[in-house]
Amino acid sequence: MNESVLVLLLLSAIVVTGLSMLMGYAGQVSLGQASFTMIGAYTAALIATHGRPTWLGLLAAPFVATAAAALIGIPLLRLRGHRLAFATLAVQLVLLSVVGQQAWTGGDIGLQGIPLLNIGGYEFSGDRPYIYLALAALLLVVLITRNVVASRPGRGLRALATSEVAAESSGVPVATYKLVVFSLSAGFAGLAGGIYAFYIGYVSPGSFPVLLSFEYVVMVVVGGAGTIWGALAGATAITLLLQWLNDLGTREGMPASAPAVLSYAVYGVLLILVVLFLPRGLVPSATSWWARHVRWPRRRTSEPADTPSTAPKEMHYEPN
Amino acid sequence: MSDFLQYLVAGLAVGCGFALLASGLVAVHRVTHVVNFAQGMFAVVAGLTAGSLLSAGLPHGAAELLAVLVAGAVGLLVGLIATGKPGTSAQSALIVTLGVGFVAYAVEIMIWGDNPRSHPGLRGSVQIADAYVQKQSFLVIGVTAVVFTLLGLFFTRTYLGKAFTACASNPYAARAVGIDVTRMGLIAFALGGMLGGAAGVLLTPLLPISYNSDVLLITSGFAAAILGGLTRPGLALVGALILGVAESMVAGYLDASYQTVVALLLMLAIMIWQASQRTSLTEEAAR
Repeated sequence: MNESVLVLLLLSAIVVTGLSMLMGYAGQVSLGQASFTMIGAYTAALIATHGRPTWLGLLAAPFVATAAAALIGIPLLRLRGHRLAFATLAVQLVLLSVVGQQAWTGGDIGLQGIPLLNIGGYEFSGDRPYIYLALAALLLVVLITRNVVASRPGRGLRALATSEVAAESSGVPVATYKLVVFSLSAGFAGLAGGIYAFYIGYVSPGSFPVLLSFEYVVMVVVGGAGTIWGALAGATAITLLLQWLNDLGTREGMPASAPAVLSYAVYGVLLILVVLFLPRGLVPSATSWWARHVRWPRRRTSEPADTPSTAPKEMHYEPN
Repeated sequence: MSDFLQYLVAGLAVGCGFALLASGLVAVHRVTHVVNFAQGMFAVVAGLTAGSLLSAGLPHGAAELLAVLVAGAVGLLVGLIATGKPGTSAQSALIVTLGVGFVAYAVEIMIWGDNPRSHPGLRGSVQIADAYVQKQSFLVIGVTAVVFTLLGLFFTRTYLGKAFTACASNPYAARAVGIDVTRMGLIAFALGGMLGGAAGVLLTPLLPISYNSDVLLITSGFAAAILGGLTRPGLALVGALILGVAESMVAGYLDASYQTVVALLLMLAIMIWQASQRTSLTEEAAR
């Protein structure tokens, strides 16, 4: 595998881990998650191109994205379901349009000539250091997510996804928890965006299209919302699949539009099939299949209550 | 003054296009509770099909009508995929229609390529006072008026239309009196496809479309429909006209690049205002 693909894969996995927590635990769909990747990337790029230390840019990226999400989230998280989905999509379209017109963000051309990341005298150049950096960031993100979902707030989140009224009346601070998880997932996206900016060296509105947000949702749904392994598996599977399709599409004798056609078609079909036939996603479906058929084959007939429910609301966190 | 009139008519025309899209969303949502993300795609498919049919030599009228029928067939297919499997929740169906949109991208790029396309509509313009208004704008407004009148008659005067309303208000009771709710849902999708298709063939001469125009079209349609809570076509029409005129005025008097921003902020404001009128209790009780 190409090393640059690995960096992008790890960055996607960081974003998807956060989005998976938002979708699987808080039960909210965001169709605009790439807006926070974009905010992170632009934060890092603006700080670095204005002569400030690059490590400050990387550090600021997740915090600015978190703050932006908290600010947007206060009015927006009053919405639920398809309204929230469209609202987050609208936020991204607004952001793309505004950033594309401002002089200080470089307009449609974007910001170029971002210096290489430099932490304590060590300069990150080439693919290899960024792989380790992204891997470290992913580990951090996974650790935070694990701690959040295995804690009291995590259980509160799972409760509010099922019924906000029931959760609220049991003492779960619904609005606060939703805002926290929304901001946290945005912070993860911002971190990935910050690393992206230094790795690629330029940012423009075209790097963060609406389709990127949809891609994150596809990764979450395919892997399985609400599980860390699902997020990692989803990001890996989709990135590798796209890479393979791209290789296939650019072979000799293929028309120029072949890579786009192939990737859109496979994307769409995969998304439809997973939602309809594996609504819990690949990883949870696979683990419960393993549990039923391999580990405890007898429990299948004696305990019908153990069969997994197909309701997407009841996505459980599985520690391994 | 002449500028104002020109912007007003252009805005009303675009608003009428949004209204057709929005009414398609409403028709599908009322019966199935699904928000059809592929609604904008119907307009793209119909607009591009009409262009191809016209360049293949079909006369005006026939080409547009055929394109609308194609969009209706596509709508039926989307309905089959999104709601055909029993037990698919409305939230899952939204994601499925998103997936259908991706597949449609592939098909559209394969057939028409990825450049924006347009086809000629009614040529020429009319002079009112000092303003020159494109004839196509009047055509869009006229056709939309006719379509909405027909829709109103359909929902209030025909058996099928009343069955639609029955499914929307209480699917269980509708089934008890012998209405096939699933089939009604599919018919609603086909109707939604034709309404989206009508928007596509009417708007394409005014604004060129490409395969990924569907995102802006669906957001505009949704913005219009949300004013009526996705259930009331009349309010959706009002919302669409306000949206179209607001966009046109912003583009005319301020800056064309801000027109979508204004429309989207308007939509967010409406949704947040609506949310402040309801509590989560009423929302969960309605499920």
